[in-house]
Amino acid sequence: MMAFFVLLLLTSLAAQVLQPLVPPIAALHGARILLFPAVLAYGSLALPYPLVLALAFATGICWDLLTLQVVTLSAETAMRLSGPLVEISAGTHVMLFGVLCTIIHGLRPLFLRGRWELHVLVSGLSTAGLLVVEYLLISLKRRGFEMTPVIWWRIAAPAVGSMLLAPFVFGVFHLAAHLCGFPVREQPREREAHALRAI
Amino acid sequence: MTRAGLIALAVFLIAAGIILSLKPATQQRLAAALQASVAPVFTLGSNAKDKVTAYTTGVKKLEELERENADMKKENRRLQEAGLLLSGLEEENAKLRVALDFKQRSKFRLVPARVIARESGTWWHSLLIDRGEADGIVSDMPVLTDAGVVGKTTTVSARSATVLLIADENCKVAVTIEGAKEQGILSGARASENQELIIRFLPKSAEIKAGQKVHSSGVTGGVFPAGLLVGEVLEEPKASTLDAQVRVKPAVQLSQLENVFVIVPGKEAVVER
Repeated sequence: MMAFFVLLLLTSLAAQVLQPLVPPIAALHGARILLFPAVLAYGSLALPYPLVLALAFATGICWDLLTLQVVTLSAETAMRLSGPLVEISAGTHVMLFGVLCTIIHGLRPLFLRGRWELHVLVSGLSTAGLLVVEYLLISLKRRGFEMTPVIWWRIAAPAVGSMLLAPFVFGVFHLAAHLCGFPVREQPREREAHALRAI
Repeated sequence: MTRAGLIALAVFLIAAGIILSLKPATQQRLAAALQASVAPVFTLGSNAKDKVTAYTTGVKKLEELERENADMKKENRRLQEAGLLLSGLEEENAKLRVALDFKQRSKFRLVPARVIARESGTWWHSLLIDRGEADGIVSDMPVLTDAGVVGKTTTVSARSATVLLIADENCKVAVTIEGAKEQGILSGARASENQELIIRFLPKSAEIKAGQKVHSSGVTGGVFPAGLLVGEVLEEPKASTLDAQVRVKPAVQLSQLENVFVIVPGKEAVVER
């Protein structure tokens, strides 16, 4: 199980580091496909809860630092007067990924019983959720909220992109889990417990 | 939830709380450390891309090369004529400097840098360059090309630096408009498709027309020196309740940047190699 967790963790971090190599798509109003949410969603569905939190923590802090924006909020000289300011504080994505992964993990029993389509659904929803929360946070910081078609595109297109990417991620990690000796399916003990609950 | 799950949740919340409580300067240092460790990956990727581009563009047709050659000969003649004119002006300028005991004002040097990566996030406009503290770069230094202003440096590591582009809403530049006495604050428009810029805080009475050039005004203690070309006015001002706003087209094609210069304070105006 640990080998599979390490594989998921490394893949998720590599997807974040390589994200700048994925250019925005002009035809989709500058939206870009995010690589890591489908991996994070798979981890949240497949792993036990403590490892889900570890995965959320590591990917959250990596994304926080990769996207950390040092800004001046009011005037060109503000930075010189008050030191650096950051738009979304480090730790915010850690908390956000923690919440998203916990919600997704709640669907694990269904996933282990063979509802593979759940992964596609939660990949899209978690991507949209991440982008919506990021947008709300920057709107709050910049003291102004606007919702234009471009913004809708930049939320919806990555979500659809993640959903399209999800079956590929699922196939690769399902095979990897099998090779690591951690088959992602309902164990006999879990099946019995589930049957008892049903009675 | 199992006991192990509860313990993991408690540890997670404590660790997240510690990170959330870090000071912005510490967060910036951590980001710089991560940037320094991943920059070699981007440099490798950028080198590979350059090699592919050089190979594909290097194979040109003979006719194209002949045409280019003829154009360059014409350009060469024009530059020779301009050179003659300039050498005369330079001589005259030197005499006037001596006469006025002129002290050189442009005390800066330009550090050339290559763009190795673009931003990771969806909502921000930034890029990563292959020069950092080792080249004398610190945060808050202007970045430009021969066409105009690109942005300013923010997070800097030993061999790389993040550049916040002028297309970002958070990059604010005090500007003046050619032929108008009004000043305004220019910044990017949020989620603009064409990376358009907006000048805000202009008086409602401002007489501005499309096509006028926009330059940095160089406020005291600011990041950008005066006189740098930022862009061109796209349309006449639109009045809001408090001020007038003008849309501006950036002078630099921000989505296709490959090489930039960072303005670093120095003893004289030179371009490093």
